[in-house]
Amino acid sequence: MNINILQNKLKEGLNIIGRGSSKSTSLPILKNVLLKTYNNFLNLSATDLEIGIKWWTPVKVDKEGELTVPYNSFSSFINLLPNKKINLNIKNNNLLINCEDYKTQINGISAKEFPIIPKIKEKEKIIINSSFLSDSLLQIIDIPSLSKVKPEISGILFSFKEKELKLVATDSYRLAEKKISFKKNNKDDFSFIIPQRTAREVVNIFKEINKDVEIIFGENQILFRVKIEDTNEPYIELTSKVIEGNYPDYESIIPKKTKTKIILDKDDFLNRVKAASVFTSKVNEINLVFSPNEEEVIIKSNNKDLGNYETKIKGRAEGDELNISFNYRFLLDGLNNIKSSEIIFEASDENSPGVIKPVGKSDFLYVVMPIKN
Amino acid sequence: MKKENLWRTALAQIQLDISEANFNTWFKETNISTLKRDKAVVAVPNAFVKEWIQSKYHKIILKSLKDLNKSIKSVDYIVSHSTTTPQENKEDKKIINQMEFQEIATDHQTGLNPKYTFDNFIIGPFNELAHAAGSAVSDSPGSIYNPLFLYSKTGLGKTHLLQAVGNKIKNNIKKKRVFYIPAQKFISEIISAIRNNKMDEFKYRYKDIDVLIIDDIQFLSGKEKTQEEFFHTFNELYEKNKQIILSSDRHPKSISALTDRLRSRFEGGMIADIGYPDTETRAAILKTKAQEKDFSLDDEVCYYIAENIQKSIRELEGILNKLIIQQQLTQKSIDINTTKKIFDDINQLSTVSFTFNKILKTVTDFYDVGERDVMGSSRKREVVKSRQVVIYFLRKDLNYSYSYIAKKIGGKDHTTVIYSYSKIEKEIQKNNEIKEEISHIKENLMSV
Repeated sequence: MNINILQNKLKEGLNIIGRGSSKSTSLPILKNVLLKTYNNFLNLSATDLEIGIKWWTPVKVDKEGELTVPYNSFSSFINLLPNKKINLNIKNNNLLINCEDYKTQINGISAKEFPIIPKIKEKEKIIINSSFLSDSLLQIIDIPSLSKVKPEISGILFSFKEKELKLVATDSYRLAEKKISFKKNNKDDFSFIIPQRTAREVVNIFKEINKDVEIIFGENQILFRVKIEDTNEPYIELTSKVIEGNYPDYESIIPKKTKTKIILDKDDFLNRVKAASVFTSKVNEINLVFSPNEEEVIIKSNNKDLGNYETKIKGRAEGDELNISFNYRFLLDGLNNIKSSEIIFEASDENSPGVIKPVGKSDFLYVVMPIKN
Repeated sequence: MKKENLWRTALAQIQLDISEANFNTWFKETNISTLKRDKAVVAVPNAFVKEWIQSKYHKIILKSLKDLNKSIKSVDYIVSHSTTTPQENKEDKKIINQMEFQEIATDHQTGLNPKYTFDNFIIGPFNELAHAAGSAVSDSPGSIYNPLFLYSKTGLGKTHLLQAVGNKIKNNIKKKRVFYIPAQKFISEIISAIRNNKMDEFKYRYKDIDVLIIDDIQFLSGKEKTQEEFFHTFNELYEKNKQIILSSDRHPKSISALTDRLRSRFEGGMIADIGYPDTETRAAILKTKAQEKDFSLDDEVCYYIAENIQKSIRELEGILNKLIIQQQLTQKSIDINTTKKIFDDINQLSTVSFTFNKILKTVTDFYDVGERDVMGSSRKREVVKSRQVVIYFLRKDLNYSYSYIAKKIGGKDHTTVIYSYSKIEKEIQKNNEIKEEISHIKENLMSV
């Protein structure tokens, strides 16, 4: 291989694929990045066998070739170089790096040792703006918890039905659902579950890019791909396994009807819940008393050693009186991910879930189970 | 050679040919999933491993397998997800009273919650019969006791036993389709099927079930359309020798507003009841529950609770949760004095008395008669009976005077009131059915 590339460009590529390289492993090759040229493109790949990331950029190739080098040393070194032209040359499994008067050699391992990132057999495909997808994922990404008993809920559900994509996450105590509408109807309904980590990497890699990303669903696998603008050439590809199994029948969790309803200012409510959290005990319990007649909610918390807290917040309310307790962390997780200035809080009784929704939009929903008192 | 042994021996061979790091990375969590005449299928944890093994180690694998088993001509690879499980997040400490979505714990297809098994079902003299019947049914569903009808007061383990039977059948006989549904859900399914004109779909869904389990069947009381649909479903399954298991909080005879044809169906199989556990069994249950929750329970405390809470296992669990929270809050282990104090707090709460209106409503709901009829002068048999029971509770629990009751209940003569009260008193002594009804109404009064 003999190519010339700008430092900035190479740095970008290394940053993107770095998340795929393994941090600790019994197999040293997984700590390496694969450099490969063909048809005047440079391709970088990294994988830890759970996910694989590839990046491409057009370059002038004087001589084709491929090699793997340790990711950490290579990328740290490239980061320190000035933003000038870099010449990469392979000789006997060594990578020679020339940039201005820097002359370096990194010992590599043959590309034949590097794992193959599996090709996907395309079954279904959707296209969505990458930043919008990332923002949507961010609203629910922290909810799943790793569970041995129910591996299905340790990931995020992508459920595509008619013109709507639903992203769903739950840890069996609360559940969040984000809806994304599409203009075009898909041929068939389909759904898959991606690991939480994959979702995080999708956000990390694609959030700032602001381009169309293709989500390609195949057997056991999922591929997120962005192409180089106005071409059919790939720019970034993230391949990941999907979680097998059926997602629970989550729609039956979402209450269809509720007995008590109140509309509150989000920031005001959020602040008061935070204040109440200071006075909770280890159980994290805060108590909400809804009085629709008074058009208010009373928020209470109590810590035997520290003292107690009580506040009232006014809102437009209807329905029955209700006294219900929640884990304040769960309330904050829901409230923090709502973008509107007002929220609707709904509940029925002290043993049934509460629902938090934005006012004026129906694209987000947060369902949370109470604490028994 | 068995496929497990075959793979183990093959791996030992492969290990010699490649580096240790490679072996650990690529052959970890692999196995032979099927072995058919000349073809072996190797299961691997993910697609990355599949690609790599296929392209790099296929020759070695094929050769090692061939050496061990001459008939193997080809090897295929599949991704099998069951071989990997994610690590549990240890940071999240469980909050005892935080409620969970039931829908997530339950199995998608069967509606069963896998946590209910025979292994964690505690047997004592009070539930021996029910356990034996359930166990027999789970060994050979559809052939001995059909239907199996279990009844007991709430919180004594009906649901646990029902689900344990379902889980055991599901795990032992893979082909059997087990379906568990609480009666309330069954009713709302029927209602929505009728409303959306999807009755055919509903019927179709229940047609192929091998084991149908319906919990709390007493909720069918007074729901005529549901009873009719259920009757048809019941017959269809019964005629095909499919197992039906039902539970209720009372004997079929005591379920009011139930059509005779259904009642006789319910009584046609095996009826088993679960009584109240004795002190030793209650203590054993407490110990098991405490162990499940990783809580060390002092013997003295354990027996104190077992002696003081007699009627419900659910209540035992409730108290146990209270103790655990108390311990989390104070960071001190629970001794007998703290326990006694917690009991005192609870007793103060439970002496809250009920009102006239509540008694009237609960009794009329139970017998399915109108409140107005009871207050009026109807001489219909069930109305008279409900009126007498209302009077009984007003006297017994609210300590109203006879003449005040006479005035309250629509201007009756106070001698009628005296007669009514003593009649129920006497009936309770000799008639088991009435006795059971009264205790049910009492429970309903306490529960709401």
